[in-house]
Amino acid sequence: MNEMDRNLAAGQPAAAVAVTPTEPAKSKSVRGRTWLAIRHSPIAMVGGSIVAFWIACALFAPWIAPYPPNKPDALLLAYPYPSAAHWLGVDNLGRDILSRLIWGARTVLTVAPVAVLGAATLGIILGLLAGYRGGWIDAVIMRTGDTLLAFPRIILYLIIIARFGASAFNIILVVTVTAAPIIARIVRGVTLDVRNRDYVAAARMRGESASYIMFVEILPNARGPLIVDLFLRLGFTTVTIGALGFLGVGLPPPDPDWGGMVKETYGMIFIWPHMTLFPAAAISSLVIGFNFLATGLQEMARDG
Amino acid sequence: MLRYTAKQLLNIAVTLLAVSFLVFALNELTPIDVARKLLGPYATQDQVDILYKQMGLDRSLLARYWEYLANALSGNFGESNLYRRPVAEILWDRLGNTLVLAGICFAVIVPFSALLGVLAGMRERSFVDRAVSVFASVCASIPEFALGVFLLAIFVVGLGILPGTSPLSTSGGWPIWSQFVLPVAVVTLYDGGYLISMIRSSMVEVMRQPYIRTATLKGMPFRNVVVKHALRNALITPFTVILLQLNYLVSGLVVVEMVFAYPGFGRMMLEAALNKDIALVEAGALCAVSVTMLTQILGDLGYMALDPRIRV
Amino acid sequence: MADKLHPIIKLAGREFADGKLDRRDFLRVATLLGVAAPIAFGMAGLPIPARAQGTPKKGGIVRLGSRVHDLKSPHTYSWVEAANGARQCLDYLTYTGVDNVTRPNLVEKWEASPDLKSWTLRLRRDVTWRKDNRKFTADDVAWNLKRMLDAKTGSSVVGLFKGFILEEFETGEKDDKGVAKKSTRLWDANAIQKVDDFTIRLNGKTANLGIPEALFHYPALIMDPLENGEFKVGSNGTGAFEMVELDVGKRAKFVARKSGHWGGGANIDAFEIIDLGDDSAAQVTALVSKQVDMIYQGAIGTYATIERIPHLQINIVDTAYTAVARVHSIKPFDDKRVRQALRHATDPDAVLKLAHRGLGKPGEHHHVAPTHPEYANVGYMKQDIAKAKALLVEAGYPGGIDAEIVCRPQPDWELLAVQTMVEQWKEAGIRVKINVMPSAQYWSNWTKVPFGFTTWAHRPLGTMVLSLAYRTGGAWNEANWSNAEFDKMITEAEGYLEVDKRRAVMAKLERIMLDEGPIVVPLWRQVFNYTDKKIKGYKLHPSSYIEAKDMWIDA
Repeated sequence: MNEMDRNLAAGQPAAAVAVTPTEPAKSKSVRGRTWLAIRHSPIAMVGGSIVAFWIACALFAPWIAPYPPNKPDALLLAYPYPSAAHWLGVDNLGRDILSRLIWGARTVLTVAPVAVLGAATLGIILGLLAGYRGGWIDAVIMRTGDTLLAFPRIILYLIIIARFGASAFNIILVVTVTAAPIIARIVRGVTLDVRNRDYVAAARMRGESASYIMFVEILPNARGPLIVDLFLRLGFTTVTIGALGFLGVGLPPPDPDWGGMVKETYGMIFIWPHMTLFPAAAISSLVIGFNFLATGLQEMARDG
Repeated sequence: MLRYTAKQLLNIAVTLLAVSFLVFALNELTPIDVARKLLGPYATQDQVDILYKQMGLDRSLLARYWEYLANALSGNFGESNLYRRPVAEILWDRLGNTLVLAGICFAVIVPFSALLGVLAGMRERSFVDRAVSVFASVCASIPEFALGVFLLAIFVVGLGILPGTSPLSTSGGWPIWSQFVLPVAVVTLYDGGYLISMIRSSMVEVMRQPYIRTATLKGMPFRNVVVKHALRNALITPFTVILLQLNYLVSGLVVVEMVFAYPGFGRMMLEAALNKDIALVEAGALCAVSVTMLTQILGDLGYMALDPRIRV
Repeated sequence: MADKLHPIIKLAGREFADGKLDRRDFLRVATLLGVAAPIAFGMAGLPIPARAQGTPKKGGIVRLGSRVHDLKSPHTYSWVEAANGARQCLDYLTYTGVDNVTRPNLVEKWEASPDLKSWTLRLRRDVTWRKDNRKFTADDVAWNLKRMLDAKTGSSVVGLFKGFILEEFETGEKDDKGVAKKSTRLWDANAIQKVDDFTIRLNGKTANLGIPEALFHYPALIMDPLENGEFKVGSNGTGAFEMVELDVGKRAKFVARKSGHWGGGANIDAFEIIDLGDDSAAQVTALVSKQVDMIYQGAIGTYATIERIPHLQINIVDTAYTAVARVHSIKPFDDKRVRQALRHATDPDAVLKLAHRGLGKPGEHHHVAPTHPEYANVGYMKQDIAKAKALLVEAGYPGGIDAEIVCRPQPDWELLAVQTMVEQWKEAGIRVKINVMPSAQYWSNWTKVPFGFTTWAHRPLGTMVLSLAYRTGGAWNEANWSNAEFDKMITEAEGYLEVDKRRAVMAKLERIMLDEGPIVVPLWRQVFNYTDKKIKGYKLHPSSYIEAKDMWIDA
């Protein structure tokens, strides 16, 4: 389904195919400059602006949305097209599309980041443990991860969501469970690479705890590839939520969900295309935003 | 290499076993009464009870799993309760349809994205590079369902030159090939967008290598540098990725299959999952996992063949 | 003529003359009791409806877009879609038409005893089985009826004959809660009696007016006993078509029988069913690109599109189809004032316009439709938010209530209706979350969820619905509703043959439902589907039954 997932479905380390890992020694010094450096990457700037726009919509939805998002209005069905009162028109229940898109940003920008953060947290812990401890812990974690990865992602989603129902929580859970093994792989790779370096050995000599070494000494080295992966993953998760909505197993109504909006109205695209096109464009733009950000960060990481 | 293959096959067997149990157990956790489902909502409770017993649903999870496993090992995957047909009959047919669609997509996507990826990557940050990169990113960012809907609006309703659904039947007057055009187009744009970026980055990496610079400095025509030196190396890294597209193409087409009513594997799995057709979900999941793992091995072997430095 | 008439027809005739029974209801009763349709139309003072538009032309193929289910076991079908396949090859004993009038089919005519307990079915003598030209006889009918009424077969026909020739008995087993399990069996060895080679008599334990209609229940297809209840490609049948191809989930093909069909055979050469999945948008695109000529049922989401496509026609029919939002009597809905508040907070007219494009009639919060003969008009309940709020306060919920409603994603209007109602309820402080369950899961739980939105199919009589769904212990009493007085009045209503007496009781029943009932009824549906304009000889049936042999193509 997504960049990382497609190649990682079979367990390829992300660093080998999509992301150039930051040189461990160098990344420490680059750390502080990353966010400022965005200004020098046009593609990251474009991506960042799109994402920022939707974040602003999500944050200020109650103040900027012109109408309540779920309020049906039978009278508006007579002329549902975009007009001065309803800039993007209304949908099949007479609900204002612009307001639904703005509130929908809130939904997707909550579910996707929470899911990705969940996956990152779980993946980082497991990856550090596997890489640093090695032995049977490594074997168990990676074996379990491989089994999950062998499952084609979308089919795993379908089975789980068809079983347990489609709620925001279940979608978050499913994304977490399926993405964590990939993130664990990235982190484990970096950990294996640096765990025998001098500064790690020094920390061990100082008598630092294992968790200190893992999180403070080792983890920052994985920052480069991780950040890129997380942005790509945000884009992917946005598409996934949309696709699940489209397949009829997405977030439950009435709260606006962009994929669900496309699903509900695409039978009408021939006469009322705006009902389908605007939400489809909204999803696409947010995904483009995340992907551009990831590409920009990747270029910057490579250029140093 | 023989040892590698043997080890991987064992690996597949263990994973399949784990997956089959996982899916079986997962199915137990939902409140769907299969006997009720078969007879419909209007059957009386006593008719449902009779069927429940007949199907042996009153036995324990392990007993039923064991029976399933024994049957599966002898090649009997049970009966689909959605289609009320032997699973094999439905599964192979739908998988076959999807493989045909995937095969065509693969044959289109690979040359298409290799061409654009290499063109873009050979002169990093040139106009062509920027244009192709943006095109690729945008394509890969538009969800398949949105892309499918846009194309339907243009070519079916607007122009009327292509059929709106792909049931793989000629009785509607549309030849079979025409029913492939839109699904293939959607997949090509979406998946191709991603592959182009992959191949482009790999090409960019290669073009930065010292030997390419040397060759250029030596006065070798740029065209020759690209064709003779860069191309092969640039395609090695994405090779695995390219192969793994097969994987995506087998399982990930569910959205496209839904949009175009294409009788494929993904749509079958969606319906089976929604209808608690456990036999079909089980067999389908095992199939999908096998395809994933086999392409992985194939990828590794191919990688070894292409790049002699790597030994597994 | 007159003295041969069943006494109830005379009664109905008097009621009709007095204006207590409308024409439609008189027609129904008269034809059920064995009066041939043309005569019944004459008695009702109606012209005999013209059967076909123009002169049918021969030839051509009609392609139907519909799910293609497995067709193996006709007697246990739980989908009309499946019956729409097999019915092309197999026949029913009777045929209830678009006008709700039951006509002869394999049964040429029937008579009921004055007490309505015994029904004599006389078969056509010119019917032959396609494969071997064998005569179709009473033995074939007896075998089929016995098979579908056997509890082990699992047919839903059982529900319609329970109490008539089927009786309940305790199997001796107990369920998890220790309640004795019950099953059904023929109440008497002679319940299905072969009188002669072409006559069958059903000897019932109790009276039943609806037997001819029940014989048209969609799984009640008459199969060749030699084929043991299994229907497949090439199966024998008395119908106008032979199934030549079946690819479950993809397509089915039926070719017209060359000769020897009792009804004169089909006009078209072949009939095909093409599976387009559950996605209604795919139906539109298939129709637009002429890959199919008609679809089984239209979705609300596609209606407006089809309206604008010149080569397509929308067929509409009035029905008693609906879906009800119903609650179990548990907190907070254990207080009847909360249930009343739910009704007052609903605006049925708006739901009808928004979720069903105005196709149908607004609901009145009791489960008796205006199309039912005994429907009593007790008034339309307008939305009254202030009253709803006041009722909630009275019930001790000044801050409003929170609940969760379970519904299905298909058909699409149901989800739209739920969304619309949820927004209306919100205004009154009834905050409801929506839980969409896949259909299969919903039907496994529909009686168990505390608050659900349930489809109710079209049924010809209001008493049938109330008895099934709201009588204490009723088979499909999804609300677990129990009211002794209500039960007594249903029985009373069922006992009256005179419609005006039934209607008087019905008015009381409806008022009880308004006062304390467990349901919100947003609307009564008109059902619709789409056909290519070139298809003639087709009318949409309220139950969406599709008969291919009558269709023809006007090229």
